[in-house]
Amino acid sequence: MRKLNFKIFWVVFALFVFINGAQAQTLNWSGYARNYTGMLLTENNEYAILQNTFNLNIEQSKDKVAYKVNPYIYQYPNQEMEIGLREAYMDIYFNAVDLRIGKQQIIWGKADGVFITDIVSPKDLSEFLLRDFDEIRMGVTSLKANYYLGDNTFEFVWAPNFVSTQMPDESSIWFPQLDFPTAPVFDYSQKEVGAKLENSEVFAKFSAITSAMDFEIMGGYAWDDDPTMHIAKNSTGLTVTPRHHRLGLAGGSFSSTLGGFVLRGEGAYYNGKYFNSEDPKLTDGTVKKNYIHYLVGLDYTLWDIRLSSQFIQQAILDYEKPIKNDEYENTMTVLASKDFLRETLRLELFSYIGLNNSDALIRPKVIYDLADGFELLLGANIFVGDAGRFGQYDGNDMVYAKVKYSF
Amino acid sequence: MKVKKLQLVLMAMLIAVPTLIFSQAKITGLQIIENVYNRETGNDSQGDLTMSLINSRGDQRVRKIKQFVKDFGDMEKSIMFFVSPADVRNTSFMNWSYDDAGKDDDQWIYLPALKKVKRISSDSKSDYFMGSDFTYDDLGDRHPTEDNHKLLREETIDGENCYVVESIPKDEDYMYSRTVVWIIKDKSIGLKKEFYDEDEELLKTLTNKKYEKIKGYWIILSSEMFNVQKDHTTKMELANVKLDTGIPANKFTERMMKRGLK
Repeated sequence: MRKLNFKIFWVVFALFVFINGAQAQTLNWSGYARNYTGMLLTENNEYAILQNTFNLNIEQSKDKVAYKVNPYIYQYPNQEMEIGLREAYMDIYFNAVDLRIGKQQIIWGKADGVFITDIVSPKDLSEFLLRDFDEIRMGVTSLKANYYLGDNTFEFVWAPNFVSTQMPDESSIWFPQLDFPTAPVFDYSQKEVGAKLENSEVFAKFSAITSAMDFEIMGGYAWDDDPTMHIAKNSTGLTVTPRHHRLGLAGGSFSSTLGGFVLRGEGAYYNGKYFNSEDPKLTDGTVKKNYIHYLVGLDYTLWDIRLSSQFIQQAILDYEKPIKNDEYENTMTVLASKDFLRETLRLELFSYIGLNNSDALIRPKVIYDLADGFELLLGANIFVGDAGRFGQYDGNDMVYAKVKYSF
Repeated sequence: MKVKKLQLVLMAMLIAVPTLIFSQAKITGLQIIENVYNRETGNDSQGDLTMSLINSRGDQRVRKIKQFVKDFGDMEKSIMFFVSPADVRNTSFMNWSYDDAGKDDDQWIYLPALKKVKRISSDSKSDYFMGSDFTYDDLGDRHPTEDNHKLLREETIDGENCYVVESIPKDEDYMYSRTVVWIIKDKSIGLKKEFYDEDEELLKTLTNKKYEKIKGYWIILSSEMFNVQKDHTTKMELANVKLDTGIPANKFTERMMKRGLK
């Protein structure tokens, strides 16, 4: 299938180039080629990843219309090639209204590296949270309408077809640890959400930028991107049936400057989210609860070092002890970054810190611009702890290098 | 990439005829500097800025920017779109600056990889702009009241009659101990400027290479900053300058930051 896809891709690509040849002067081509090599810090020096990437942005705009197509290829020497379209959409510009139709990444909220109100585009977690953020966000086929009134924006999104979070393959080193007493049998028969009108997702947002503060207020009638694991005990053991559920949510975010500081906040109330529970009275091991997810963050500069920290809390309302998740789950992020050599060399340290399980993901990086548009990156992903969201990957500590040419 | 107060890049290139004519005998150093600072620059402007960073080996890095600026009365808005290098293409930056000297600028950056407009804090005016030899103060935002100015003498350079003014910062911790600027008498354009470091050693020289009068305003189209101590040069060239074209107010919005130069 991959080989066939690849042929189709190049045929379409060649046709596209041919068709656009006559108007090439107005066509905007950009993108990058990249090699990404990562090695686990284990005795065997196994590779965590060997990947070659080609990412192309093709854009054209006329007075009132525009389009963008963003094909990408991930090529691996030791596994199947992955090709796809990250985005493919058309824009129509009116006086105070913009319409965007097609597959698109839609990013909301003020948080960095945390997904609270930013739930329109699903996530690709094939490599946990290690990919660049434009690669974690998956495009979603939708109609987006924006109405502008000065510096105020009303945004409406209709996504006719639900797309769930992309999880790692079961054979991947990033496949999450399963917390079951015995090895379960998975029944995927109910995992898919049917492609029909009533299964659409809708989102709305009002946002404004002002001198004092930027803010967003949003709401959505969506599906939970992560499936709930319904558990059934039977004579042969456990059967786990992943199933997505409807989720309503409302939230908002803000960002404001205080002297040399930028204060950010974001929060959402999720109405009716499913959690796994060990309550023996439950027939399928799940319970439905309302849930709050919020964040406060501060950005500042000290001795030319750009610093940013965020505190994140997830709280389950009307909590019951058998629920597997903690009532409150607290996480922090810390970022420090400094430029050298006329902004051609950057040292950066980013870390997620799980406060409940004392686990962490620590990500130091050195980025050097060898020439304009040509970047060398050396980094490490260090997992601390032995449990929790980050600690579960304690055996996946790795160093990596990325060489990237942007054009 | 570091960006802040970038609207000054273009505005610093726009140096207008002084609105007041002082007699040669009475004019003071402060008045000469105020005439440069309080120049008329029109209601709006746009242009293509090319900045070339050249090191001691002659290696060159080029940054290209398209910028729009508009005066809204008590505030000025600017928006800047990065054209090259390729890895920063489609990044945009917006700045709102206020006549109220006590009010900090508001700034936002749009990073296409994140697809998000982020509010950022105004950085120090002593920071260097995009790795160049220009600080933000060098680009024209330093208020005359921040220094003590003294008219040293008058000189003729390249056929232009100039005032030579020495400026010493009131803040002893400022990055320059003093600057000396040659200002063309009848144009209020700085033709040449020397910057001295905290040890009173010459640090940088700024030379304006080309200037023209467009729509009644003197525009510096080419200038060069040479860091004497690091043997590093930044050339700034401005092209396609358009003034008072009636740029619509909605050019300076989050909508346009995301749309880019489409």
